[in-house]
Amino acid sequence: MLYDLNIAWSPATTTERLLQTLTTASSLGYATVALNHTLELPFPANPTTPFPSLPASSSSPDSKLPHVLHRATLPLADPAASNYRLPSLVGVYDLLAIRPLTEKAFQNACLTLDIPIISLDMAQHFPFYFRPKPCMAAVSRGVRFEICYSQALAADPRGRANFISNATNLIRATRGRGIILSSEAKNAFGLRAPADVVNLFNVWGLQSEKAMEGLRTIPRSVVVNEGMKRDGFRGVINIVQVVKKNPVEGDQTDDQSSATDQPGKRKNQKRKNGGEDAQPISKREAKKMKLAARAAASEKK
Amino acid sequence: MVRIKERYLLVNIVYPPDATKISKARVPGLVAHHQPTVEKLTPQALVRAIRAEVSLLYGDYGAGALEGNLSVKYLSLATSTFILRCNRAHYQLLWSALTFMDRVPVKDGRPCIFRVVRVSGTIRKIEEVAVERARKLILAAKAEASAHPQSSLSTNILGTKEDAMLDVMDNAMSDEDMEDGS
Repeated sequence: MLYDLNIAWSPATTTERLLQTLTTASSLGYATVALNHTLELPFPANPTTPFPSLPASSSSPDSKLPHVLHRATLPLADPAASNYRLPSLVGVYDLLAIRPLTEKAFQNACLTLDIPIISLDMAQHFPFYFRPKPCMAAVSRGVRFEICYSQALAADPRGRANFISNATNLIRATRGRGIILSSEAKNAFGLRAPADVVNLFNVWGLQSEKAMEGLRTIPRSVVVNEGMKRDGFRGVINIVQVVKKNPVEGDQTDDQSSATDQPGKRKNQKRKNGGEDAQPISKREAKKMKLAARAAASEKK
Repeated sequence: MVRIKERYLLVNIVYPPDATKISKARVPGLVAHHQPTVEKLTPQALVRAIRAEVSLLYGDYGAGALEGNLSVKYLSLATSTFILRCNRAHYQLLWSALTFMDRVPVKDGRPCIFRVVRVSGTIRKIEEVAVERARKLILAAKAEASAHPQSSLSTNILGTKEDAMLDVMDNAMSDEDMEDGS
C-alpha cells in the first residue's frame, strides 16, 4: 500500500483534471491519496466538506481510482491568535495538517499543537533553522513532517535550491525519522512514481529504507490514527471485527484446556508460595508447626 | 583487468491522459497511460536532453560524470520505452535528472512523466523485464477491453504495484511487506 497524502485541490480545480490526476496516481502505484484543501485564514464558522463527489470506481471501469481521503491544511502565522475551531474541522476532514509560516508557529506546531502533520512550503526561504530539538520532540510526540516533492519539480532554480537546502536540513534535524513524502501535485504531471521519489530523496541524503517508510508505513499510521480518533470509542478502542460464536466446539476445547491448565497453575502457585514461606521460617519453627498440625489432626480424629 | 561497472535503466514514458478525451474515445485506462510516443524522438535528441537536464541540475560536475558513458541502448516509440546505460557510480544522478524532466524532448513535445521501471547491472535482465512488461501490458489491456464495460473487472496485471516497486529498488526490502497488510 502506497500513500500520497497531498494532492492539491482548490474549488477552482475541475473534476476532469482531478480525475486525470487520480487515475495517474493509481497507475503509478498509489493506493490511497488525500485531496488537500488549503484553507484561508478566517476559517468558516461551520465548515462543510467542499470536495466533489467522485464517481465510484465501479461506475467507470476504465479509470481505476485510488482510495480518496479528504484533508485540510491550515496556514499558521501567529500562534497567539489561536481561534482555529479545530473540533469543527476535525469532523469534516479525514486529516488535518498545519503549514507554519514563522519560526514561532513552527515551534508551536512542533511542541504543543495537536495536529498530526506539519507540512512546509520548502520552495521558499525560511529565516530560521530547523533545530534538532523541537523537530525530534515533534517526532517523538507523534507529529510527522511532510515533504512535497512537486514543489521542487515546479520551482525555478532559486526555489529548487531553497527546497534542497530545506529538505536536507530537515532530514538532518530529524535524522530521517518521521518524514512523510507526498507530492502536492497540482496536476497529473506533478506526480512521480514511488521508486523515482525514493531515488530523488536518496540523492538528497534520506536513506532509501526511510524514504520507503515515508511512502508506506508512516502515512498509513497517520491515516489509521486519525481514523481511530474520529470513529473509535474515545479515540482509543475501535471494533474492527466481531468473531462469530462457534458454540459447541469452542466450549469443549475451552474446558479441556482449562482443565489441563489449572492443576499445573495450582502446582506452580503452591510451589511458589511454599518457597516464599519456607525462607523466613527457620527449621525449628517449621518443626514446631508440623507437630502442632499433627496434634490438631489427631485431636480431631 | 577489472571491467567497468555499469548500470542499465529501463525507463517508461507515461502520458497522463486527458480525461475529456478518454470519455470520448472509450480507451481502457491502462492503454491511455501507456500511449505510444508520436513525436519523432531520436536517441541523439534524448541523450542531448538528458545531458542538458543533468548539467542544469548538477552543473559541470554532473556533465563530466556522465560524459562519454551515457548512451541510449534501445528506444522504442511504440511502447514508449527506452534503455539507458551509464556508469555505476553516477546512476542516481542520471535517475534524478530523469525525475525532473517533464516533457518529451523534441520541439513542442507533450508533457509526460519519465518513470524508471528497473535498474540492473546487465542488459540481459533489463531486456527480459522489458519484454515481460510489454507482454503483460498487452494482456492486461486486452482483458480490460474485453471485460464488460459495467463491471470493474480490470485485472490490473501491471498493477502488481508492490512487486514492480520492489524490483526497482536494488536493496532487499522484502520484510517491508509485513507492515502493510491493511
